[in-house]
Amino acid sequence: MKTFLNAVKKYFADFGRAVAKGDIWCKLSLIILGAGYFGRKQIIKGILMTALEVIFFLFTGLFSINYIKDLNTLGTVQYEAVFDPLTMKNTVNDYDNSLLILLYGIVGILVILAFILLYISNMKAVYRLQLMKEEGEHINTFGEDVKSLFNGKFYITLLTLPSIGVIMMNIIPIIFMSCVAFTNYDMDHMPPNYLFTWVGLRNFKNMFTGGTTITFSYAFVRILAWTMIWAVTATFTTFIGGILLAKLINHENTYFKKMWRSLFVVTIAIPQFVTLLLVSKMFADHGIVNTWCSNIGLTGFLKDIGLVSGNFIPFLSKPGWSHVMIILINIWVGVPYQMLSATGILMNIPTDQLESARIDGANKWQIFWKITMPYVLFICGPSLIQSVIANINNFNVIYLLTSSTATANMAFANSNAKETDLLITWLFTLTNDNSNYKMASVIGIISFVICALLTLLSYTRMISGDKEEVYQ
Amino acid sequence: MKKKTWNIIIRHVLLALLAFIWLIPIVWLVVTSLSATKGVSYQHFFPTNWTLANFHQLFFETDTAANFPAWFKNTFIVALFTCIISSCFVLMVSYAFSCMRFKGRKQLMSFSIILGMFPGVLSMIAVYFVLKMIGLTDSLAGLIIVYSAGSGLGFLVLKGFFDTIPVSLREAARLEGASEATIFTKIIIPLSKPMIVYTIINAFLSPWMDFVMARIMIKSKESADWTVAIGLYNLLQKTLIGDYFAIFCAGGVMIAIPISILFVVMQKFYVEGVTGGAVKG
Repeated sequence: MKTFLNAVKKYFADFGRAVAKGDIWCKLSLIILGAGYFGRKQIIKGILMTALEVIFFLFTGLFSINYIKDLNTLGTVQYEAVFDPLTMKNTVNDYDNSLLILLYGIVGILVILAFILLYISNMKAVYRLQLMKEEGEHINTFGEDVKSLFNGKFYITLLTLPSIGVIMMNIIPIIFMSCVAFTNYDMDHMPPNYLFTWVGLRNFKNMFTGGTTITFSYAFVRILAWTMIWAVTATFTTFIGGILLAKLINHENTYFKKMWRSLFVVTIAIPQFVTLLLVSKMFADHGIVNTWCSNIGLTGFLKDIGLVSGNFIPFLSKPGWSHVMIILINIWVGVPYQMLSATGILMNIPTDQLESARIDGANKWQIFWKITMPYVLFICGPSLIQSVIANINNFNVIYLLTSSTATANMAFANSNAKETDLLITWLFTLTNDNSNYKMASVIGIISFVICALLTLLSYTRMISGDKEEVYQ
Repeated sequence: MKKKTWNIIIRHVLLALLAFIWLIPIVWLVVTSLSATKGVSYQHFFPTNWTLANFHQLFFETDTAANFPAWFKNTFIVALFTCIISSCFVLMVSYAFSCMRFKGRKQLMSFSIILGMFPGVLSMIAVYFVLKMIGLTDSLAGLIIVYSAGSGLGFLVLKGFFDTIPVSLREAARLEGASEATIFTKIIIPLSKPMIVYTIINAFLSPWMDFVMARIMIKSKESADWTVAIGLYNLLQKTLIGDYFAIFCAGGVMIAIPISILFVVMQKFYVEGVTGGAVKG
């Protein structure tokens, strides 16, 4: 933290020095970005910089400023269409679109921030040029600058396009979504016909405390609990199952290893939306599994002991049953994948440890639980946490298995949720079917926070363990 | 010796049992695609009458509900471009982070890793609005952007592999006067072919496997605009399932075949790739 503050301090101090000690060309660069380059005969670079500056001012002054200035209200003029009997057409007023104001406003602000960074670093670069000139050092021509983009500064060339993609698809959406959580953007406030506006922390209050009409807090607590139970159970069942399966297949006494492995891999080669939809039809209330169960008398037995009330087993349609079924089906989905990655890990276990344990008289289970598992956990710790995160957001399994069932619990139904929903599927239903963007964004932010906390846990291990140069 | 024989037998019986359980849905998919009954069979696992008509209908008798050739074409186009763009992005980012040293590299890398761990699904509403703003929803170009734009964040596995390439190779090349761009294209890329194949196949597969992003981005009611995932999902709606379940299965088989082949190709890279990332971080 302190080093960060120092870095920031140094950053601005350098800028200040450049402004104070710069010569006339440098000072001119405060107004015309390219001036410093013109003064050192870097004409093309100067023109490019000045052009960037002009483009920035045109973009901000003519376009984004209109949206940025409305950001505090998100628009005041509502859409109105007046039917004009003379032209037989609707005339539309000059209305505000809250959505565009928010979106373009964010983009506009990001552009301004980027320009400020460019401005400061430009100033420093120009000052550096002045120093180089005074020292009599060689100043690059434009051709040499371009060449360095493929040599010493190749990373700039490499990273530019991917960064633009990430900013567009990850950073802007995340900022936008965080903002929506503080507005009242929902079904009744849909642009362009209606405006939405800032409401502060109201949505968060609705989510955490009980409301009178819509019981979001009721559903939230239960869904959050189920999400966590699901994520942990799903991760550990598939993880342990995968390791056991890998051990079974890779054992010296097993023949046709490749064939067995391929048999299991086939199940991950088929897209999840096919297999999961298929499985959901197999376990439907009147599906084929229910026919089998009633043929062998299982349904009757369960009915006798009071676990089932109807003539079928509600595998995916009753809470409780469906929770268990989802975890079981997820074992089916996840184990082959874990088996593959465990195969690689198990091959790398240091054999001398196993050997010495065997000599000391440890039996197989002791070796498995005392040596193999700790080693695997040590190696897989970060990736385990990552797969907990992935399971928190495991949309496919939950949605594809249960999208055709409805809840009987009104308290859930009022907030458009189901007992088996995860935060992520709830978010999806809220946006896709109910246009309740404000609450969906709140859920999104909460998921973010949970994921971020877990990420930090694994992250310290992944980066701080400075292993990247060990193998070079 | 007797004990060992039993061990072998139990092992194989157990494996066979597990494989049997794991394959039930797959077998059901295949046999239902060959069923003469169009709807879901509730009574029999194997169809009573066998036919290939479903595949014929799938490819040659398209209607407003089922237009498999168009879906397949759409998904293929999306997958192809996604594959090209995101493989390039991943390669570029991995090289920059692994082989080059520049100011702020560590910070940028940490930032990317954290950002990359947030699942894209969470911000999907906003992604939808961003694309709507540029007018790219309901189009293949929009889907390509969704799948490939953020792909630079998935550099971890390939970077882990680049880290294992001896630095002396690059230094030698540099002494000979090669620029970074030359080292990248002439030394690093040829050396890491297996991992690049893995990256490419992975990128190619993701549009075929994905359901949720396509569902959000494509709102069109015209079945010719859909991808395989949305189209097949739609066939299982309550009103359609009675007539189209066998078609759904046939479609499932048709996309499973190419993907399975790619998977088998990838399998040997797969084990390396997954562990490569896990061990080296």
